[in-house]
Amino acid sequence: MIGMLLFGVFVVLMLLGIPISVAMGLGATLAIAVANAEVVWFGLLAVPQNFYASLGKYPLLALPMFVLVGTIFERSGVASRLVDLAIAILGRGPGVLPVVAILVAILLGGISGSGPATAAAVGGVMIVAMTRAGYLPSFSASVIGSAAAIDILIPPSIALIVYSILVPGASVPAMFAAGMLPGLVFGIALMVPAYFLSRKYGMGALESELPRPPFWRSLKDASWGLAAPVLILGGMRAGIFTPTEAAVVAVFYGLFVGMVVYRTIKIHDLYAIFRDAGVLSAIILIVVALAGVFAFSLSTLGLITPVTEAIVNSGLGEYGVLLLILVLLVLVGMVLDGVSIFLIFVPLLVPIALFYGWDLVWFGVILTVMVAIGQFTPPIAVNLMVSCKIAQVQIETTVRWVMWMLLSSAVVLLLLVAFPEIVLWLPRALGY
Amino acid sequence: MKLDQHNDQANNGKPFPKPRVPLAIEEVLTALVMAALALITFINVLVRYFTNRSFAWTEEISVFLMIVLALVGASAAFGRNHHIRIEFFVNKCKPVLKRRLGELAALLGAFMFGVLAVLSAYLTWDQYVFDEISPAIGVPQWWYSIWLPVLSTVISLRLIGLWLRTRKST
Repeated sequence: MIGMLLFGVFVVLMLLGIPISVAMGLGATLAIAVANAEVVWFGLLAVPQNFYASLGKYPLLALPMFVLVGTIFERSGVASRLVDLAIAILGRGPGVLPVVAILVAILLGGISGSGPATAAAVGGVMIVAMTRAGYLPSFSASVIGSAAAIDILIPPSIALIVYSILVPGASVPAMFAAGMLPGLVFGIALMVPAYFLSRKYGMGALESELPRPPFWRSLKDASWGLAAPVLILGGMRAGIFTPTEAAVVAVFYGLFVGMVVYRTIKIHDLYAIFRDAGVLSAIILIVVALAGVFAFSLSTLGLITPVTEAIVNSGLGEYGVLLLILVLLVLVGMVLDGVSIFLIFVPLLVPIALFYGWDLVWFGVILTVMVAIGQFTPPIAVNLMVSCKIAQVQIETTVRWVMWMLLSSAVVLLLLVAFPEIVLWLPRALGY
Repeated sequence: MKLDQHNDQANNGKPFPKPRVPLAIEEVLTALVMAALALITFINVLVRYFTNRSFAWTEEISVFLMIVLALVGASAAFGRNHHIRIEFFVNKCKPVLKRRLGELAALLGAFMFGVLAVLSAYLTWDQYVFDEISPAIGVPQWWYSIWLPVLSTVISLRLIGLWLRTRKST
C-alpha cells in the first residue's frame, strides 16, 4: 500500500515533467509520513538526515571534479586536434571519416564523463567536415549520436562513479577498468556498420583526394589531449591518485593545456567554466541527494524484498529476468539519463543480481551498456537530439541508419552476457 | 534530460521574464565554490605527495563545500528552469496545459524544498541544543548544517519566483 503510494506518486509526477529530484523527494517524504503516522514529526527527520548522508561522501567528490574536467577539455579545442591526428593516420577515403568520428568520441570519452557533452564536442567539429565530404547529415548525426553514447562506458564516467557509490562491492577503479574493454568493443561494433553503410550508399567520396594533415605535427598537437586519459587512468592504476585526486590533477592539467599550450582558454573564460561545471554538477548532485531519501524509504519501508521475491518467483528463470531488466532499461534509457536511471533502479536491481549470484561489477557494466543504447534509440534519444540539432536534421530521418547501429550494439550486449570475461578480465588483471 | 543552456524561451517563443533578484548571485557563488573545491583538493594532493601527510580537515571542508555547491547551483538551475526531467510527454501537450504543468512543477518544487527547510532547521536546532561537534575539526556541527535550511529556503523562494513568472508568461 505504502509502496504503491511511493511509486505511484513518483511515476506520475515524473511523467508530468516534474524534475526527477522533486518527484523522488515528494514520493519518499509522503511515504515516510504515512508509514510513521503515530511517531513525532511523522519520522520525517529522516528526510534531511538522508539528504545529508547521501551527499556527505568523500568519494562522491569525484563527480563534480570529473564534470569540471569535461567542461575544461570541451573548450580546450582538443577535439579538433584529435580529429586531425586521426585523419593523418587513417586518411579521408570513402567511409573513413565516420570511423574517425567514432574514434575521437572514444578518446574524448577517456577525458570527459558525459555523453551529450561529447556529442556536442565531436559533432561541432565533424558534422560540417562530413557534410563537405559527401555524407548525408542524417547519417553523420546518427554516427556521432551513437558514438557519444559509448562515453558512459569509457572511464572516467559519471554514471560508473554513481554506480560504485550505490554498490559497495564495486569500487570506482574496478568499474573504470571494467568499462574499458566493453567500451572499445562497442566502438568497433559501431565502426563496422558506419563504414559499410557509407560504402554501400557511396557517401564520402568527395574530398578524398585532399592531402592528409602532416602526421608528426598532428601527433605533437594532439599528444597534449592524448596524455590526459593516460594521466587519469595511469595515475589511478599506479596507486598515486584516488579517483577524486586523478580528476583534480586532470583539471589543472586541462587548464594548463587550454591556457598555455593551445591558448584557447582565456583568463576571463574561467568564470564561465567554473560556473557551468558547478551548475551542471549541482543539477546531478541534487538528484543524488533526494534519491538518497527515496532509497532510504524504499529499504526501510520494506519494499525491496517483496519486489525482489515477486520477480525471482515469477517463473521467468535467470535469463528471462535478465532479459526483462534489459528491455526495461532500454525503455527508460530513452527518456532519462544514466545517472538518474542508476539512482532509481540500482537499489531495486542489486538484490536480484545477488539472488542469481551475478557479479556486481559485470552487472554494472551491462546496465551501463543498456543505458548507452537507450541514449541513441529514436525517437527520444538524448545524444541523438544533440547531434541532430548540430546537423539540423529531424530525429526521424536518422532511423534508417541508427537501426544498424542498434543491431550491432545488441550483438555487443549478447557478447558481454555470453562472455563475462570481456568485462571482468581487465579489473582482475589489474588487481582490483 | 535537459541541460540545454539556451532554453529560456516560453511556450510560444516569447522570452521568459527574468527574475527580479539576479541569478548571478547564485552563479557567482557556484563558480567560487567549484573553484575552491578544486583548489583544496589539489593542495591536498600536493601536500600528501610531498610530505606523505594529508590534512584531515580538507575532507570535512570539501564534503561541506560539495553540499553547498549542490544547493547553490541547484538554486541557479531551478531559477532558469534547467533540470533533469522527462520532457517528452510534456512537449506533446497543448501550450495551455504545458504552462499549467510548468506551474505545477514549480509549486511542487517550492513545497518540497520548503518542507526540507523546516525539517532541516529542526535538525540543526537539535544539534545546537545538544552541542554536537564535527568529527574532524571539532567545530560545532550546526555551523555546517545551518546552511541546509537557509539554502533550501532560497531554492523554495526561487521556485515561487519561477511559478509567478510561468503564470505571467502568457
